[in-house]
Parts: sequence; structure tokens; C-alpha cells
Amino acid sequence: MLSFKPIKPLLQTGTNAASRWFSYIGLGIGVLLLLASVQMFVNIQQLMKEGSIRKNGFDFISITKKVTNETMGQPEKNVFSDKDVEELKSKPFVTDVAPLQSNLFRVQLSAGNILPFKTDLFVESIEDEFLDTVPPTFHWVEGQLKVPIIVSSDYLEMFNVFAPSQGMSQVSKETAMNIPVVLSVSGKGQKMDLYGSVVAFSDRLNTVIVPKSFLDWANKAYGETPTQGYSRLYIKTTDANNPELLSFLDQKSYVTNRDKTKMGRTKQVMEGIFTGLGVFGLLVVVMALMLFSFYLQLVIARSKENLQLLLLIGYSPLWLSKNVSRRFIPVYVSIVLVALALTQVMQWAFHHFAMYDREELKTPVHWSVVALAVILIVLSIITNYRLVKRLLYKLF
Amino acid sequence: MLSAVEASHSCAFISLRSNFEFWILMQLSINNLLPTYFPDTRKQTSEVWGKELSFSPGEMVKIVAPSGSGKTSLMHFLYGLRSDYNGEIGYDGKLSIKTFTAENFAAQRKERVSIVLQDMRLLPEQTVYENLYIKHQLQPYHPVEKIKEMAERLGIGSKLNSKCRTCSYGEQQRVAIIRALLQPFQFLLLDEPFSHLDNNNSMKAMDLMLEEAKIRGAAIIFADLERIDYFPFTKLYHL
Repeated sequence: MLSFKPIKPLLQTGTNAASRWFSYIGLGIGVLLLLASVQMFVNIQQLMKEGSIRKNGFDFISITKKVTNETMGQPEKNVFSDKDVEELKSKPFVTDVAPLQSNLFRVQLSAGNILPFKTDLFVESIEDEFLDTVPPTFHWVEGQLKVPIIVSSDYLEMFNVFAPSQGMSQVSKETAMNIPVVLSVSGKGQKMDLYGSVVAFSDRLNTVIVPKSFLDWANKAYGETPTQGYSRLYIKTTDANNPELLSFLDQKSYVTNRDKTKMGRTKQVMEGIFTGLGVFGLLVVVMALMLFSFYLQLVIARSKENLQLLLLIGYSPLWLSKNVSRRFIPVYVSIVLVALALTQVMQWAFHHFAMYDREELKTPVHWSVVALAVILIVLSIITNYRLVKRLLYKLF
Repeated sequence: MLSAVEASHSCAFISLRSNFEFWILMQLSINNLLPTYFPDTRKQTSEVWGKELSFSPGEMVKIVAPSGSGKTSLMHFLYGLRSDYNGEIGYDGKLSIKTFTAENFAAQRKERVSIVLQDMRLLPEQTVYENLYIKHQLQPYHPVEKIKEMAERLGIGSKLNSKCRTCSYGEQQRVAIIRALLQPFQFLLLDEPFSHLDNNNSMKAMDLMLEEAKIRGAAIIFADLERIDYFPFTKLYHL
């Protein structure tokens, strides 16, 4: 049976083992970078995918215009006009836009005898569609003395944090909804007292919401500052982390205070970093493979006479190509497997030490990383074989 | 033993015909052959250049070729080592070997055509035995023990473990001869195979080659500066 064993010593691999090991290490580093970048990319996707506060698959974020030194003191530059609203509505990444109407009169809140405090208040209203909870009691007609209020649950939380230091007791949601409050509205030289009660808490809107009908009426009756526009808008979108949305907001200098989009920007940056690393790793892999091909060419050039002689006495170029290139397969496979193992170790360390075994992440490497490793092995074997074959046929 | 599958894999030329024809007798034919660097006038003075000749297995062909007549060129053309010639050479009469691929030639050289080159061309860093074994394992016609037997018959049995570059030219030439006889062939091409041997060793080598050709029913094409008396030629040409 035809054996490659007696042929092996005819291939002059050269005495420089150091340069050979350099190319092995180079390839290993490149592959490691590439695999690790892909794994980190996957990690980011898994970490940044949060159970968001969404209603029916939509995200709601509020935006205001950024107040700069130039625009300060010019209120018309800091509010959204109807034109701005229409522009936003026209964008494909925006499902709907609703302006928040704020109070143009003075309103004060007091809790009567139960909780001894009085404070100036801001109230806003928005279309019912944008509210996450709309109890049936949330309506108002002119002449009604009772005003239903929806308050951000963040405020209750904050109140409960600071209440003890102010000598007040903490309040539960149910209790808060049972506290009657007095709303004193004043303006245009008139004033009026109304009774308010909290009918719901909102997780979505970080403000105090009153029925639109009430605010419109009160603004007309008591409003002293003329209506100029909307200082806040709410956007309904399918994905608050949409990079198109974020870059549009940046472009228009719209500011949003939702953690969600902040997370979106962080995610963008991290994805960018690891994509860059991955591309770099790919370049290193390509260069290492080129180095390998130079090395191959050197081996074959050095062994030229021996190989020509083998062809002369009847050895098949095809058989020689297969057997010569086969010698390098174990090298490629080992390098990629070592890089894969190292990536697994890094992933375990990352998950365990940096992420405290969070559930969102998995310790084993993602299947795409393994698939990539396999592809790299196959690719290097194929290019190796084709190069050897081409060189050998040239000898003929 | 060569399997039919292996044969068809190793020779694209064979894929053009059925596997069985591989064992069919070859015809070595030349037609209007002339090296590109020879003037046309050579055709008039030569019995080979520019002529139409055909050789069959079993024939003993002697080509008398003085220095400068293109003897080595002719051998190289016939073996497919070079292609700087006009005219045609055919191994089976139909296809010109200029159309052969590297794989085609490999298959032919493995099983049908063998050669002893004037410059021998052995692997210098391998031993005599290794040189012969590498040829033998490609297509074993004889059992591997025959290597030692032939070496001893030609007087180089003691050199089997010596590197070829340490052997004298005469010893190397005998290695080249044995190497050519380890494979099956229908044509044995010889280019001054005894140039470094004395008469005694030449005759021993000639006897061995005639024996090996006979058991294969093969032809020998022997090119040399002069006639060799102990070569029983059936055809004689002056190059």
C-alpha cells in the first residue's frame, strides 16, 4: 500500500522552528480574538435584552428639547411645535406621538388635616391611549369638584424614602389612594379649590396626570402664560433601543430621561467595541493564514528537486498534494481547538467573576462560536490544500 | 495489487476509456518529430527526426546517436519531460502526449513507461535502499525482497544503506537501472545507461534488463553513442 512515510523526510521543513511557532501563535491569537469577540457580542445581546415595561409590545419614552446656553431664556425654542410632532409621527421608527399638556396656572396641593403639607404642584395631561392604567373613575366634566389624579409610582417611592426624615409616616399605595387632597388653582386674579384623589399609579409616566378635559378647562380659565407648544412629548415605539431612533433624537437634540435609551446607547457602544475587536481578530487570522501560505511555499521551494523527482518516477501530483497538505491539518485543528477552549475558559470566568453567575448569561460558549471555529478549520484546510496543489502542479 | 478503482482515480486519461484498455499493449509512435531548436535540414540526415516510426512491445530498438544529435532530448521527449518539439508522439497512436495532464503522465510512468536517465537523478540524501523502496512502493511488480537480490546481482549489495551521494557514479548508475526495473512497463527507455560502468558490469546489467523486459513482454529503446554489441537489437536507427 502506498505510504507517505518514506516521502516525509523528502520535505525540507527547515531548521527554523522558532518562526514556525510564531505563525502558530499568531494564528492562535487571531482565532482567539475572533471567537471571544463573537461570544462577547452574544453576551451583550443577552444582557441588554430586558423585560421592559412595555404595553402590548410597545415602548413609551418621553422627550424634551435640550436646553442649551443658546436656547435658554427663549421658551419658544425649547418647546415642541405641532410641526415637530408631525415630523416625529412621520418617522418609521415612531408608532405614535402624544404631547403632554402642562398647567399654565398656579396649582397647589395640600392634604388637609391628615398630612400637614402644602406644595406647589405641576400637573400634566395626555391622551388616554398613552396611559398604562386608566381606571373608570378617570374622567372629569366642567363643574365637577372632584378631580381624579394619576401619580407616578416613582413619586410614592421617593416620598416613602424621605418621609421618615421629615417626621412623616410612610404611605402604602392603597392608603395614598384614600387620602383626599385639596387642589387650589389660581390665576387671572381668580382662585378655586377642588378635591383631588389619587385613582391610580403609573409606571410609565413620571408626572402627575389629570384628565385632559380638566386641564384644558383650567388652562383656559386660569392660565396666565400663553400656550406656546408642548414642553414634553411621549413617543410610542416598537423598540426604544432602535439605533435609528437614537441617532434621530441626537440629531434633533431631543433629550430623554429613560434608562431604557441610556441602556440602548451603552449597548451601541459595546457592540461597536466588540465588532471592532472582531474585525481586528479577523484581520489577524487572515494575516496568519498568509504567513502559513508563505511558509508552505518555502517548504515546497526548498524541496523542489525532491518533489520533481517524485513526479518524474511516477508519483501522482494529486496524491502528493493531498498528503503534503494533510500534514498541516493537525496543526490547524489544534490551534483552533485551543483557542476555542481558551474562549470557553474566558466565558466561564466572565460569567462567574464579572457577572456573578447572572441568569441572563450562559456559561457554555454560544453555538455560533463553535460553528465559527468549525468554519475556520474547514476554511484553512481547504485553502491549504489548494495552495499545495497549485504549487505542486507548477513543479511539473 | 492495483485495484480497478485506484487505476481510474489516478489516471484521468483512463477515464476516457474503459479500465481494461490499461492492460492493452501500447504503441509508441513518433511522427515528424524535431526539437524546436534544430534546423529542418536535420530531418534529411536523420533516421529518426522528421520520420514516422512506430514501436511495439517486445521490440529491441537501438538508436545510435553521436554527441550533439539530440539523443537525450529524444529520450526526454518520449518520456514527457520536455515538450519543446514539433511533431507528435503518441503512446497509443491516437492522442498526442502533448495533451496529457500531470496526472496522465504520472499514471503512464507508474505502469507503462520506465526510464534510465543519463544523469541518473537519484535522491542524494536517501540511502540506496530508500531510493529503491520509494520507487517500489508506488507500483510493486516484484516482491520487496527482489530489491536486495538485484542489488547483489549488480554488485552494490553492500551499498544498500549508504546515502546515494556517497556512492560512485558507477554505483549510482546501477541504482538507477534497478530502480527502472522494479515497476511494470511495456517500454523501457535507456539513455546511455552504461556510461560509468566497465564492460563486465555493463554486461551484467544488460542481462538483467533483457530478462526483466522478456518477462513483461516489453520493448527496449536503447540510445547510445555507439553500437553496443551485447544488445540484441531488432531495429537499428541512426539519429
